[in-house]
Amino acid sequence: MTYKVTEEGNISTVFLNGEIDMDITDKAKEVILPLIESGKEVHINLKDVSYMDSSGISVLIESHQKALEKKTKVIVKEVSKSVLKVIMMAKLEQILNLE
Amino acid sequence: MNFYNTFVKQISETKDFPVSASSLKEVRAFSRDVFEKIDLPQEQKDELVLAIAEAAQNIVKHGYKGVEETEDRMEIKISLKDGQLEIGFFDKGKTVVPENVQHRKLDDIKPGGLGTFFIKQIMDAAVFKKDQKGWVNHLVLTKKI
Repeated sequence: MTYKVTEEGNISTVFLNGEIDMDITDKAKEVILPLIESGKEVHINLKDVSYMDSSGISVLIESHQKALEKKTKVIVKEVSKSVLKVIMMAKLEQILNLE
Repeated sequence: MNFYNTFVKQISETKDFPVSASSLKEVRAFSRDVFEKIDLPQEQKDELVLAIAEAAQNIVKHGYKGVEETEDRMEIKISLKDGQLEIGFFDKGKTVVPENVQHRKLDDIKPGGLGTFFIKQIMDAAVFKKDQKGWVNHLVLTKKI
């Protein structure tokens, strides 16, 4: 996985890339969670993520819950069809903020 | 890509992998290569790859919980015969007690516990067999395709 972070005002956008599995979830959390901790609104852009398994879904849940705790927001953006299918299989499309 | 559009009705392919999170990518690559030879919609192939990767992940995550590094390997066998897909997983991790393999309730939103749920959603059956043949655990996933 590779990633890029852009900042605009209070919004940090994390562009993830590649396949998200157990091997890279720690790295993804290291990138995303501190941004939420600092109170930023975080946009996770998944347009270049071709595969995500339950570990990746856990990162999205943890990010969402951390944002609620910090009274900020995580928005998951540009989800590819294959990743959306996994999110829907987990019945999270109504829980996560998808755009 | 199967350029020749020649799909097989019967297949049996086996590969072993180091028990490590870094092997999951190879597990998916192996699975995709095998499914490339079978006439199935891409969406179904993607689901099957996910189920296989989740089962392999369970071995790494739960079968070797607390183990920093191991030289052990896990073996995956994908077979198709008479329209029945059978995927076998062999490992030498902690003995699995099938009754303890539970996924979390979906309305209990928290990280983790979804892998087994995905497997059950995608496959027709997931059974731990007693014929381990030198291994500790033998999980068999099946699906009529």
